[in-house]
Amino acid sequence: MTSDQERSTDRVSRRNFLLSSAAVGTAAGLAGCSGGGSTDTPEPSGGDGGDGGDSTPTATPEPDSTPTEESTPTSGGDGGSNPNEPSLLTGEGSSTVYPIANKGASYWNGNAPPSDGEYWGANDSGSVPGWGEIETDMHLADYFASQYGFEPTETRSSPPYRATIGLSHSGTGCEAVTNGLVDIGNSSGPITAELDWTEEKASEEVVDHVLGRDGQPIVVSKDIYDAGIDQLTAEQVRGIYQDEITNWSEIGGPDQEIFCIGRAVGSGTDTSFRLNMLGDAEAEMPGVDTRQGQNQGVAQLVRQNEGAIAYMALAFTGEQVQPIALEFDGTVYQTSKDAENTIFDSSYPLNRDLHMYTQITEDTPNGTDNREGAFCRMFLTTFGQKVFVEDNNYIPLPTADIEAELEKLPDTA
Amino acid sequence: MSLIPEIDPGGWRAALSRRIARSRELVRDTEPDALAVGAVGTVALAGAFVGFLTTSRYTSVAVLAFLLAVAYGWVFHQELAARGVTLAMTASTVLILSLITVFIFVEAWPILADRSGRVFGVPVPGLELFTTTQWTPAVSEPKYSMLPMIQGTILVTIIATAVAGPLGVAAALFLSEIAPGPVREVVKPGVEILAGIPSIVYGFLGFTVLSPWASDQFDLVGQGTYLFVGIVVGLMALPTVVSVAEDAINSVPESMKSGSLALGTTDWQTMTTITIPAAFSGVSAAVLLGVGRAIGETMAATVMLRNTPTIAEPLYNVFYGFDTLTSLIAANYGSSSGLQKDALFVAGCILFLSVLVLSIGSQLIEERMEQQLGRGE
Repeated sequence: MTSDQERSTDRVSRRNFLLSSAAVGTAAGLAGCSGGGSTDTPEPSGGDGGDGGDSTPTATPEPDSTPTEESTPTSGGDGGSNPNEPSLLTGEGSSTVYPIANKGASYWNGNAPPSDGEYWGANDSGSVPGWGEIETDMHLADYFASQYGFEPTETRSSPPYRATIGLSHSGTGCEAVTNGLVDIGNSSGPITAELDWTEEKASEEVVDHVLGRDGQPIVVSKDIYDAGIDQLTAEQVRGIYQDEITNWSEIGGPDQEIFCIGRAVGSGTDTSFRLNMLGDAEAEMPGVDTRQGQNQGVAQLVRQNEGAIAYMALAFTGEQVQPIALEFDGTVYQTSKDAENTIFDSSYPLNRDLHMYTQITEDTPNGTDNREGAFCRMFLTTFGQKVFVEDNNYIPLPTADIEAELEKLPDTA
Repeated sequence: MSLIPEIDPGGWRAALSRRIARSRELVRDTEPDALAVGAVGTVALAGAFVGFLTTSRYTSVAVLAFLLAVAYGWVFHQELAARGVTLAMTASTVLILSLITVFIFVEAWPILADRSGRVFGVPVPGLELFTTTQWTPAVSEPKYSMLPMIQGTILVTIIATAVAGPLGVAAALFLSEIAPGPVREVVKPGVEILAGIPSIVYGFLGFTVLSPWASDQFDLVGQGTYLFVGIVVGLMALPTVVSVAEDAINSVPESMKSGSLALGTTDWQTMTTITIPAAFSGVSAAVLLGVGRAIGETMAATVMLRNTPTIAEPLYNVFYGFDTLTSLIAANYGSSSGLQKDALFVAGCILFLSVLVLSIGSQLIEERMEQQLGRGE
């Protein structure tokens, strides 16, 4: 029902759009020629996706219905409906959000056809996760972009607009988006903490898209893990980071001094660890022996040194960098995904939201323009949550949160 | 023009009138279109500068006007245009450098004003940065002490100098005085190429190889020592020291050495009693240049140190390495804001001043060397 309704409004608005853009003039007409060229072979094989030219007029999700609907007057206005070429979508910020955002951007730029099977769509050898909900005959980026009225390109490696994600820091990302340097600012801490804003200012300036969660498991070096330390209480971790416990033998481990690794002062990871583990965002951490700016650096230090303890994004753990279980307020959060309480749970106290901020401007009072909306929507599907969030060892959002996040995006066309 | 006017000391009035007369002469002698273009170019360049400062959208227009003026001048009055353009380029270089300097100090000012202290009742901006010992920017009453980083920078610099100085001077002496020609021809350019290796390469080697090894050998908790950062930075500064010291030793006049040899001294006696003393100031300048590099070295220190600003105890403890002025900036620029960011600019100011002192010092020494050798001949 609803999908039918959506489809018809979609078509109407698209027609209007095409009509108005027909007046745009010669430049548009020229573009239309090249765009229309691909529709010269109207063989009704639309399901294959390779020649999606005939399927462009509608954003309808049923592949079988498209070949018959060719009647819509497309070829002239096809390319011409792009009087303002959508510009590059840029993002920048935290190294913790980077794996999610960058993988998303890479998939987006690849614009794989639905016949790909590995990155998008389905074929004989399998389908992408959550494909049952999508079932489109459009390319990946085309599918999401077309929901906001962008013209599909139907070409692999050529999305309607490209997306690029830069790597810096949470604070830098927040500053970059509020200064209008990038479209999306990635931050692992809330912007209120990163830029010292009030909640009110934050809600006036930016929209906060939470597209995944990150846990900060406590990790130890392999020698400590092998010596039997696979679980600590929150109290013990506090003791280590506040210099009350300095040797593993004090908490049942080998006689080895503790090499305590922290994160760059003021980074999102550092702030939220102080807040969640030490109980105060401004708590002192005199026990820290070294600080590293990036997860990669922390992981390398844990690999290279004996007796090390650290906290870091789940994405960087491995054989040499072992996450351990944590007992917090009487609940033991296990490292196994199958346990009753795990460090993947959203109730795990050290979990934190990963933010992608977009700026509220005069043009976009809702804070999210269509380019940003289409890109964010990609992450809020079962497909996106599995491929971009969970496969990167981050924590996918529960259904209720996904719905709340979709509410923040502009309505689809 | 080529005549140098005799300036009577104190007669600035006469000097001024002479200058005005000369400008008049210049105006009279120059073709009017060249004058006009020169004026347009100057005004456009000044306009571009003002536009840049006020972030005006018309800056590009001014730049374009300047470029057109230069192009016209280049075609029709090449000699004059070249003079004007080179003068403009020099002026802008100086201007840009001074703007950067001013900017660093302006950015550092808020924390200097915030953390001022009093000495005998006289307020001294920034005094508190040097009287406390803690760097705790994230707690409720943040403290920003520069002392841990100053200690780190001093220790690293001393160790680096101890590595680069003797090794560099010895290598320079060998290359200049002892090595046969072909060896010198090959080794000297080779050493100079070494200077081009990016510092992150050294730092990465230090982080993955030296630091874990040192941590094992000296039974340290974790990795990161001033000792090994100093050694790595010293090795990095080595090529500079060798190259400059070799030039200095080489510039000792052959006649001095021959004179000494003619008196019956051995080669080694000539080196120790004539060549090295004569080249001493040049060699010191070389070492000072190396020290300057050690102070400013960033990447190697950042990746190898612990980035937890703490004063090492005892003060000469080089087996734990916490932070230097440069690594503080490199490790914190991304996640700092407010006063913490200003404190990083203070670290920048301290670095700026120390390197300035060093480079002026080495230039003075070099000047002295030239004078001495000139007199010696």
